[in-house]
This record gives sequence, C-alpha cells and structure tokens, in this order.
Amino acid sequence: MALASNKIKSIGAAQSPLLGAAMFSPAVLYILLLVGGPFFLAIFYAFSDARIGNAEMHFVGLENFRSILQSPSFRVAIRNSFIFTICSQIVVTVGANILAISLEKTFRGRGLIRFLILLPWVAPIALGAIGWKWILDSIYSVITWALVAVHIYKPFSAPMWLGEPRLAIASVLLVHSWRLMPFSTVILLAGRTAIPKDIPEAAAVDGAGFWRTQLQIVIPMMRPIISVAVLFGLIFTFTDMTVVYILTAGGPFDSTQTLPSLAFALGIQGSDLAAGAAISLFLVPLLVIIAYFMLRVAHRAEVN
Amino acid sequence: MAKRKQEGLSRRDFIKLTGSGALATGVGSGPFFLFPERAAAEQKTLKILQWSHFVPAYDTWFDGTFCKQWGQKHDTNVIVDHINLVDLAAKAASEASARKGHDLFMLLSPPAAYEKQTIDMSHVYQEVEKKHGKKIDLAHKSTYNPKTNRYFAFSDSYVPDPGNWHKDWWTDAGFPNGPDTYDDLRVGAKKIRDKTAHPCGLGLSQELDTSMAMRALLWSFGGAEQDEAGKVTINSKETIEALKFMKALYQESETPEVFTWTPPSNNQAMLAGRVSYVANAISITRQSEREHLPIDSKIMICAAPKGPARRIAAEHVMDCYLIWDFAENKDGAQQFLIDFIDAFHDSFIAGQFYNFPCFPSTVPNLKQEISNDPRASPPDKYKVLGNVLEWATNVGYPGYGTAAIDEAFKAWVIPTMFAKVARGDETPENAAKAAEEEYKRIFARWK
Repeated sequence: MALASNKIKSIGAAQSPLLGAAMFSPAVLYILLLVGGPFFLAIFYAFSDARIGNAEMHFVGLENFRSILQSPSFRVAIRNSFIFTICSQIVVTVGANILAISLEKTFRGRGLIRFLILLPWVAPIALGAIGWKWILDSIYSVITWALVAVHIYKPFSAPMWLGEPRLAIASVLLVHSWRLMPFSTVILLAGRTAIPKDIPEAAAVDGAGFWRTQLQIVIPMMRPIISVAVLFGLIFTFTDMTVVYILTAGGPFDSTQTLPSLAFALGIQGSDLAAGAAISLFLVPLLVIIAYFMLRVAHRAEVN
Repeated sequence: MAKRKQEGLSRRDFIKLTGSGALATGVGSGPFFLFPERAAAEQKTLKILQWSHFVPAYDTWFDGTFCKQWGQKHDTNVIVDHINLVDLAAKAASEASARKGHDLFMLLSPPAAYEKQTIDMSHVYQEVEKKHGKKIDLAHKSTYNPKTNRYFAFSDSYVPDPGNWHKDWWTDAGFPNGPDTYDDLRVGAKKIRDKTAHPCGLGLSQELDTSMAMRALLWSFGGAEQDEAGKVTINSKETIEALKFMKALYQESETPEVFTWTPPSNNQAMLAGRVSYVANAISITRQSEREHLPIDSKIMICAAPKGPARRIAAEHVMDCYLIWDFAENKDGAQQFLIDFIDAFHDSFIAGQFYNFPCFPSTVPNLKQEISNDPRASPPDKYKVLGNVLEWATNVGYPGYGTAAIDEAFKAWVIPTMFAKVARGDETPENAAKAAEEEYKRIFARWK
C-alpha cells in the first residue's frame, strides 16, 4: 500500500516539473540575491576605487590587493583568522567528544544538562558575546573579582583579559569554543547513538578497554560525522566577526583583528569599500576548499 | 434566538450601533477620518538620526520639546531616531550606499568622506550668520572643503575635552589644582599609583576618547598628522617625543585595561573610583551629579594639560549635521538647522553645558552661566571651560578635517601608534614610521 502510494507521488512529481521548480526556486532566489549578488559586487568593488559617499568608480586593477598586503593590520588579521579557526576547532572537537561520551550515559538530570549545554548555541551570538564582555571587563569582571577575593591577585594587578594581546586572543578563542561546543556535541551525540551497541560490547568481550574502544572503534566509525562538525565549525569561525567586534573590536591595537572584522572596519567604518571588499575576498579560496570538502562528505554520507 | 436577543445585543445590532457611531464621529471630525492618506499627504515628514546623547536630558528636550514645537510650527511630522555613537559610522555608510534614509544625519566627527553625497551647507551657514554672527574656526575647519569650496556639513556645537581628576589623590600628590602640564600629569600620576595603586586612565584603545586624548598629546608636543596644506607630517621628532612620553606614563602609572576601553569605559573607571585622571567631556561629572554619587564632589575638571609646544586639545566630539543629496525633505532639514540655532541657548541648558556653541552669540553669557552651576559641587566646577576656545581645535589640525583625515581617524592610526609604543611592541621611531606609511597610503587613495 505504502509502495503504491509512493509510486503515485513520484509519478505526480514527474508529471508536473513546474511544481518541482517552484519548490526549488525560493532557495535559488535566496542564494542568488543574498549570496551571489553581494559576492559578485565584492569582486567588482575589489578591483575598483569604490568608496562610501562617492558615486564614481574606476578600475584600478590589483591596486587594492597591493595596498592591503602592505598593511601590518592585514597580516595580523590573516594570522588571527587561522589561529582562531584551527585552535577553536581543536578545543571544540576534544570538548564535544568528552561531552558526548558523558551525555550518552543515562543519569538523573541528563535532560537539564543537555538543555544547558545547548543554550549557548540557541542564544543569539551577540547576546552571548556581550555577556562575555562583561565577564571579562576591566572594571566589572566577575573572574577578576573572584581571583582578587581569594587573594590570588591584588586589586590593581589582576590580569586584563581583553587588554593583554595574548589574553585577548585566548579570550576570543574561549568564546568561539563556548559558542561552537553545543553544536558539535549534538552532532557527535547523534553519531554515537547511531553506532550499533553490539560493536563496543563485542570489543569489551574481546578485552578492549575504554581508550582502545574509543580510539580504535568509536572515533573511526564517527569520522564522517566528526568531519561534518569540524567543517561547519571552520566555516562558522572563519567567517564570524561578531565575537571579535563585540569582545575586543579588534584590539588591543589590532592584535585580535580577523579578516571579516578588518574588512568591516576598513570597508564600512573607514569608508574604503574597495579595501574592505579586497580583504573579504582573501577568505574565498579557503572557503571554497572547505565547501568542497563539505560537499564531498555530504555526498559520501548520502551514498552510504 | 429570541432569548439571545433579550440577553443582550445581537452581532448585527452591535455592528449597526458601532458603525453609525463611527460614521458620526467621522463626519464630525472631517473627511480625514475616512481618508487618512489625505491628511498624511498634506503634512511633511522630517527624519533625523543622531546619537543617544551622553546627557539623557538633552534627548528629552530635543525630541519632546524642540522637535515637537518645530513640527507643529512647520506642519511637519518630525521623527528622531537615536543610536549608540559607535554605530553612527556604519549607519551612515548603509544610508549612503542605499541612497535612502534620514533627511538630517548627525555624526560626531567631520564627515568629509560623504561630501559627494551631501548638499552644500553654505546657505545654512549664511542664514545663521546673518542672525548670529560668525561661526568659530573649529566649525569651519571641521565642515569645509577648501578644494571644492563647499561645506559638506553644518556644525551647531562642539564638546570640550577637559581633564577629569580625583581631587583627594591629586592634592595628596602635591597638585591641589590638578595637573596643569603633561609633566605634572606624569609626576602626579606616578605618585598616586605608587602610593594608592590607583592608575592613570588615559585611554590607549581603538575608540573615540582615546583618539582625542592622543591627538591632544601629539599636538601639545608639537606633532601633527598633516600640515596646513594637507601634507603628511606624522613622522617627526615631536611625534617621537610624544610617543616617548606616553610610553613612560603608561609604564609608570597605567594598567593594560586602557587597551580594552570603549567610549564609556573611562566614565565607568572614574565613577567607580578606580582611576586618578581621564580625558573626557563633562559626561562623567554630569552622571555623578544626576545619580548623587558620593564621588561627585571629588571629581574635578581641568583644562587640557599644556605640553612642551602649547596647550591644545581636540574637541571631544563635533556635532556635524549633513543632509544627503537623496534626502526627501532637504528644505525642511535646512530650515530645521537654521531654527535650531535660534534655540541653541535652550539646547545648551538642556544638555547641561555639554555642547558648546559654534555661534558664540547664541550663548552670550557662557562664562557666567557655567561658573555658577547649582548642580555642580562646587558650583564653579565648570568655570575652567570658559576659555576652552583658546585650546580646543579640530581633528586634522592644523589643516582641515578632510576625507583622508576622516579615514585615518576611523582606521585608528593614532591610537594604534601610541598603544604599540606604550606596550613596548614598537620603538617610537618605528611606530612613527609605520604611521607615516599608513597615512601616506590613505592620503594617496583620496588624491
């Protein structure tokens, strides 16, 4: 009966190709207008002398790229983009695996814990970043207050979390990891629950301990799922400017600037649209590579 | 059915009753009730965007009194939107790109980059000058482009940028009137830091207050971003001396918190009784007065410190109104500005002396008024601002506030240069050279 019903449905779809196109078109429109349009505009701007407030534009070739390559802030931004992306993914992958292992077991209050862990992902990132800004604030930091209260630091010599370049970089990393951990945890948790129970049980019978089971059986089986989580994490971190913008605004003295935040600072705040566009285009090759791998992983999952 | 009718009104009765009532009201109040679009078509709209003022009472007066009365007088619906000052640049950029937005847009620094998308304000200045006399040089240099002979914005007011100092600590350090020179600042701040651990709070972050404080320091030592003709002059021995001074001040008396600051941070640090000195407008003391904070009587105001070259500081913010060339109500916007200057004294009072006039005749007794303020403790706390025009100048000094200067300002070149040297990440010589390259790169793009 179900088979017959499916057959009727597929025949219906095949007979009305317009229906398929109509259902597909919102996604195509969305991509063309909100992704394709700005992307090609950015390419156009990057080779021009476009400026906010100036209606005229001229072709300047590679001048914008030459100009930004000379900027020390740009070199710092490239370095930071990679540091934030790679380091946060290492922290997130390790942390999310630990959380997924913990949350796989049944225990009292598991639902509440899962809800709390998911909260940073559900809450708007701007809200979370503002919360962290206050937690790490130079005057009102609750962490500093606690450290002073237990006499680890004196009142005026406590660390300035967002004022020292290394601490500021670590703070941005922390917030990125905090934000992405729930997403990865949920994905990995789903992957773990999908592994047939008899496989780790058989391994246990054969004498495999916890680490051996995890490293040689569970994690290799979850590799496609972990890849999905990592690739999404890479994209989210590499293209994000909210955390840096709210937490440090690129400071202290450009030491936490990333490519997206620098593109915004120069292109929008600094009125130099062409330079902003050129900086943002530096993201493209890497994002294309990541997107390629994402599609490959998705295709493999589909085949399996 | 009959029973339901007896219990109350039926649905049909209700519609009849309310319908006839509404019709009667509509007839009584004229045809606009039935055709509201006709009413809207006859009334103009003026859309204004400006910052959320640091003195909230100013916004209350501006929106609730001045705009309301002006709207009634000119049969115009005046809509005022307020946004945080740090979002002004991005908002202006989006309006300019979309070629749609507010009729009047207020920025807090000279918006020369937008000249080609704004109308010439010469007419507004001329009309105002007929009634109120000449504008101050600060307003002229902040809104005029000598190359095109156009005013790209109109400035009604500027905000002084004095020093705010903690009376008890500075008195103990031997400076009962606060620091008068940069040498006083360095010596006194170090004494206070050594004795009480309270740091000095001269910002070194990528934000407005730091930008102004560092420009004041640079100019006071004889350095400048450009000369009068607009040639880059940042890499000079005077700049290097200023950088050396800031490095010493930071290392002796400050903490890394100054690298993290946003515009309200030095207000918070001063009001929390944490720092001994900051450079800021009078928003700090106005807040302490408004909230009756115990620290209020301890925070004093002084003129910008004098450096080896002169006593000079930037305006803290410069009100610059621009009118987009795509604005829907250009005439209304120009008239609004002309009338606003007529009411500037009320604005001065409502803003609790925060905004000083660009047309001095609008507040003829400024010195007397600020010298006896019942809100202040002591009442003559603000007296020192009476001669502010002797030491306040524009961004881009000694030249004009050009588009290149505007971009360098927004790219935080000066704060970054000072911060790197203060941290010890760059030598003063290398930092000045790097800043010169950045300025030349930016200036070349605006040629």
